[in-house]
Amino acid sequence: MHPFDRAFRLILPVGAVAVLVTVLAVGWFTEPDQLLKGYEPAQPIPFSHKLHAGTMKVPCLYCHVGATRSRIAGVPSVETCMNCHRVTKTNSPAIIQLTRIYESGRPLLWKRIHDLPDYVYFDHRPHVHAGIACQTCHGEVQTMDVVYQHMSMRMGNCLGCHRDPHAALPEHSPVKRGPENCYACHR
Amino acid sequence: MRAHLKRGMPRHWRSLEERTPTPDLRAEGWNEFAPGAAEPMAPPADVLSRRRFLGLVGATAALAATAACSKVDRGFIVPYTKRPVEVVPGVANYYASTFQEGRRAYSVLVKTREGRPIHITGNDEHPAFKGKTSPRAMADIMRLYDPDRLRGPRIDGRPALWSEADRLLVEALRSAKATGNGVLLLTGAVLSPTRRTLIADMKSALPGLEHAAWEPAAGDAELSAARAAFGGPALVKTKIGQAKVILSLGADFLGGDDPESVAAFAAWRRPRGPGEPMNRLWALEGAMTLTGAKADRRVPVKPSQAAPLAFALARALNERGVPLPAGVQASALPQGKSQGNPLSAEEWGALLNDLRGARGEALVVCGASMPPEAHVAAHLLNAMVGGTLAQARPAEPLASLRDLDGVVRRMASGGYEAVIFWGVNPVYAFPDADRLTAAMERAPLKVWMGVIEDETSARCRIVLPEHHWLEAWGDYGDGDGVVSLQQPTVGPLYDTRQGEEVVMGWLKGLGAVPSADYHAYIQTRWRKEVYPQGSPVSFERYFEAALHDGLVRTGSGIPAALAFNGTAVEVARGPSSAAFDQGFELLLAPGYAVYDGRYANIGWLQELPDPVTKNTWGNPLSLSVADAEALGLGDGDMVKIEAGKAAMEMPILVQPGQAEGVLVLALGYGRSAGSVAAGIGVNAFKFMDAGSSSPNVRTGVRIAKTGGRRDLPITQAHHRMEGRDIVRSYTLAGYAREAAEPRPAEDLVTLYDPQKFPLHKWGMVIDQSACVGCSGCVIACQSENNIAVVGAEQVVRGREMQWIRIDRYYEGDPRRPGTVHQPMLCQQCDDAPCENVCPVNATNHSPDGLNQMAYNRCVGTRYCGNNCPYKVRRFNFFEYTAFKKDPEALAYNPEVTVRPRGVMEKCTFCIQRIEDARMRARDENRPLRDGEIVTACQAACPADAIVFGDLKDPGSRVSLLSKSDRGYKVLAELGVRPAITYLANLTNPAAGEEQA
Repeated sequence: MHPFDRAFRLILPVGAVAVLVTVLAVGWFTEPDQLLKGYEPAQPIPFSHKLHAGTMKVPCLYCHVGATRSRIAGVPSVETCMNCHRVTKTNSPAIIQLTRIYESGRPLLWKRIHDLPDYVYFDHRPHVHAGIACQTCHGEVQTMDVVYQHMSMRMGNCLGCHRDPHAALPEHSPVKRGPENCYACHR
Repeated sequence: MRAHLKRGMPRHWRSLEERTPTPDLRAEGWNEFAPGAAEPMAPPADVLSRRRFLGLVGATAALAATAACSKVDRGFIVPYTKRPVEVVPGVANYYASTFQEGRRAYSVLVKTREGRPIHITGNDEHPAFKGKTSPRAMADIMRLYDPDRLRGPRIDGRPALWSEADRLLVEALRSAKATGNGVLLLTGAVLSPTRRTLIADMKSALPGLEHAAWEPAAGDAELSAARAAFGGPALVKTKIGQAKVILSLGADFLGGDDPESVAAFAAWRRPRGPGEPMNRLWALEGAMTLTGAKADRRVPVKPSQAAPLAFALARALNERGVPLPAGVQASALPQGKSQGNPLSAEEWGALLNDLRGARGEALVVCGASMPPEAHVAAHLLNAMVGGTLAQARPAEPLASLRDLDGVVRRMASGGYEAVIFWGVNPVYAFPDADRLTAAMERAPLKVWMGVIEDETSARCRIVLPEHHWLEAWGDYGDGDGVVSLQQPTVGPLYDTRQGEEVVMGWLKGLGAVPSADYHAYIQTRWRKEVYPQGSPVSFERYFEAALHDGLVRTGSGIPAALAFNGTAVEVARGPSSAAFDQGFELLLAPGYAVYDGRYANIGWLQELPDPVTKNTWGNPLSLSVADAEALGLGDGDMVKIEAGKAAMEMPILVQPGQAEGVLVLALGYGRSAGSVAAGIGVNAFKFMDAGSSSPNVRTGVRIAKTGGRRDLPITQAHHRMEGRDIVRSYTLAGYAREAAEPRPAEDLVTLYDPQKFPLHKWGMVIDQSACVGCSGCVIACQSENNIAVVGAEQVVRGREMQWIRIDRYYEGDPRRPGTVHQPMLCQQCDDAPCENVCPVNATNHSPDGLNQMAYNRCVGTRYCGNNCPYKVRRFNFFEYTAFKKDPEALAYNPEVTVRPRGVMEKCTFCIQRIEDARMRARDENRPLRDGEIVTACQAACPADAIVFGDLKDPGSRVSLLSKSDRGYKVLAELGVRPAITYLANLTNPAAGEEQA
């Protein structure tokens, strides 16, 4: 066998496969979804969505008022918690901590779970108005004691739904597709 | 393509080099890109070298690979603890407020996001401003976030407590009161009736207080002429919107800082058809101003010649049957057709005809920098032909430079126990700064109050930081029946105080008992003087409504117009001919962007190209074409000019249209304080003559070439358009011909499939006839779209970042060129040449006709910028935002991505505004309304020259306008199908010889 033949028949394919495997392996382990899905940090106040949204059936929009009025759904102000907790469960240590924060006026730092890059301008309004349930993207929050990231926040995921949204939409929804052009989300 | 040449269309040019290309230019300057455009900035020694950078990149990658095994921390979400009821995170709130500059108070709307101001526009409730404001007002938001701002009081250069400063000051004022010594309070113009009341209160508490209101760039001649002509300090209120003929004597009423005049003027400049009337603007001026650029006939005239010319006009009008006002002798006026009249006989006759024919509807406007004689002459002409269009109204007096000279003399003789500077910078703006600083040494206590430390604060013992106007209360009366309010739109960023409250603290120390705070003080005055007695509405509701609207139309307090006093002419005529000797005349005008230097620390304004010279970052000396030729000077050559004791070196700029023998220098540059302002340009205030009645015009100036050369950061010679039919300009008669015989539409074959636009097709119409080139759109866009400032060195290389620019084209004789302004921005072409060269599909087409630019996809090949025929794409050669200091980033619009290094960017038609309007319409379950989406440039345009909308809606304003017979597409022959229609410029020159 000519040395060149050996190179072409053996070393090159093996080398190519090795490179490919390395790239794929590194890609797989550093893939943002692998890293970001299931992110479940501890919060400064052990607030349970399972209790509030599940058992007590407090509507999502009671606290996340921005979802229908603004691009940002928003995390409720401490004052919103105090609407109930002035009288409810005032003896619980977490509520005592909450009351102290409220009275001091200090900011309450929640750990961010869902995050989009700065160049993405997701707007909650059209999604909520189209009747898409919050759970479609955020998971069954009403069953979570500690909220974690349910869905991938990658562009492919957005586009998948924009191209074929019928599973996410209520029955008989007039919406057929979501926009797919760049400026719909990027500015 | 060259059809315009055959049709006898004027050939337009952008720079003198382009008009007469030299072999040298063909070799290098003709190149589309400026030399050095592709080279990186040489890194300073202490910055990363390439090798070290690569090393770090490798290390970072290795670290990232190991660190990436843990879940990435995504930081915090911090909600309000107690959310203010009016704030919904993500939704902008607008507050009406008022911004003062010199003698103008602009009623503005401040856009805030989560409690911080991010954008300023005009207040649409205001009857005069109608939602428009000046570029400087919009840019002043950057002064709020200026990193150089004082963060707390200082005494003897060290940080101090307010209580300490208060104690020192009150002690000094008490001792001055006891001894009866003088105390000087030097402020800017006081337009606020409440501040005026406060100063009056202060005066009664401290009889030795001497208050002087001084505006260094306002021009003293206007008031001194008014004293002669109307018997007291007065300002002329003009009704430009009703004038058929306007004669400007060096006035720049279209200069952008007077949106009311621009709107009124532009309303006449966009006839819907050839039959509709237009006004006519004559300009006699020495400098080339925006007003002159828009004039139908512009004649270069030395500032000193303006008065004799205007008096001669009055005499000639009188000879043609226009009566002179009482007290004026025709024989005392000079003859017009004397030798040296810069107007040709034909022009002279046409001007006379115009003024006589439009009696009662003619208006003469005189520039603030002009000598007092010219103002008197303008008043005389207005009294003859102006009817009621120019009304002199009593105005608050200002201290002139002569008055200030007297103050400095008194200071030097030890006449003041304390001097207090409030919002003024005399050490910079007083011509003889050495004398002033020497005089200041004689004052035992020197106090300065202001926003950003300056030359004056550096020489004061007590330095008091004041609120920026966006943090403070105030009110303004415009003498026209409208009282406007200024309200805080953000909490104080630092340990600063409202200036008036500091004064109230002194009052308290002197034993007077003012209100608790300035807000209450304003309300007390309003309750007494503004609130209509016996109104069924409670005062609280009344004040709240005023705060909401930003103003109250009281309709009262409009002073009666003053009558012209003919004897003033006798006085004024004398010096005009004698006082001006040979040599060059130096005209000192406020800087277009930096005004009197107060905005010199704002990068946006420093980088705003002067609409006429296109120069940024500095003030070169403008020289006429003939003088430059005679002296053998070209752009950037260094000269030394001398006037009296003052002498300075500076580069020159050859300005077509400038009068021979006139030098023009902008004020407001050459600051020595301020991290942006320091060292940019030269301080032209040094050339003012404190003893003269007309300090803005200096005569007998000598100029000499020194031999050096400096690259001027001019944006003009970039984006050249190679002699094509880029701008169209018709005379009114030519327009009729054009409309009668429209050009055949070019039928271009395209290889592309036609674009489909299912719902909308966004488009724009720009009326070049209405556009005056004020550049308000440039600043509005910069603020709305987070556009970076790059600095003079980068501008020289053609790397300025503004998404919209004002191209300025000249036509004809360089000594007396016609001028057209053309706002140029991304044309959102249907078949965009940028799109099909992008290797990564970062730029492509949206279904509503926008040429999209996805920054996060861009890899920075710059093919698109290269392929763009309009040269409107901007590349981030550097991480410009890395130079931002706290808290500048607070001014960012959170709805627009801040672009990093290596990314191409361009106009998006304000996609964030489109999307926001679309979402609102969807929430309300209705279609988008025409006019609902307003781009930032359109909102800012005082001339209403920009119209944006949906081209698919046949009834929309933009659709109707784009079918105008003045409409054309720039570079239509390329077949790129731009979405912007330009409407040709129109001029209305006088026709025919003298007929009377």
